[in-house]
Amino acid sequence: MDDAKTSSGEGPLLDAVSKNEDSQDFDAKADDAADLLEDILDIMDIDVEVEIRADGEQIELDAQGPDAGRVIGKKGQTLEALQFLLNKIINRSPDDRRYIIVDSGDYRERHERGLVSLAKREAKRAMDEGKTVTLHPMSPRDRRVIHLSLAKFEGVTTLSQGHGAKRRIQIIPGSD
Amino acid sequence: MRELVTLLARSLVDNPDEVEVGIADDDGLTVIELSVAQGDLGKVIGKEGRTARAMRTLISAMCARGSKRAVLDILE
Repeated sequence: MDDAKTSSGEGPLLDAVSKNEDSQDFDAKADDAADLLEDILDIMDIDVEVEIRADGEQIELDAQGPDAGRVIGKKGQTLEALQFLLNKIINRSPDDRRYIIVDSGDYRERHERGLVSLAKREAKRAMDEGKTVTLHPMSPRDRRVIHLSLAKFEGVTTLSQGHGAKRRIQIIPGSD
Repeated sequence: MRELVTLLARSLVDNPDEVEVGIADDDGLTVIELSVAQGDLGKVIGKEGRTARAMRTLISAMCARGSKRAVLDILE
């Protein structure tokens, strides 16, 4: 009997089962996050599928489907609100905090590319006109993208001014 | 709308059983009244009101379709 259990025929099956269990353990938090996002979008009557795109140090959720535009919202507002609330809820206990990103397709990548080109364009304008350029208020994450993209841009420096939701970046020419 | 606020509030607070959500209609405007345990107020309001603002954003996104209007009122 014991010999029969370890026969080559059952090997792959057992492997598959144990692998599945492992990944379920490892993914518990990502699964919770995906389930919660699905529940919220379901109540909001938004027709999309939620998939876990990455579950490493950060948990990345991707909501795609016919209603992707509604998940994103005007200027990404709905996406931001969903991400903020998911982080609050899923990371309620201080241990095992993992940042959750909510995305829809390549929205965040496109958004970031837009920020980088805005930064380069406005940096050039600041230099050409010899004047400080102040950008519109942005989230900490967006400001970080701008700061980084201009860190090696010669001829300008950047800093943030203002408080809370009104914090803006200034691009200052000639002080590099 | 009630379901959305109930799910979010119950998930955010320490005392989900004390979450109450009421709906009042004020001349075509839906008022969602949320009440939570005293100690949980900060959990639904958040730093600089960010949690409450995020919930309001989702409520507006939900309303946008039917051109309804709704506001979230957190009772203290």
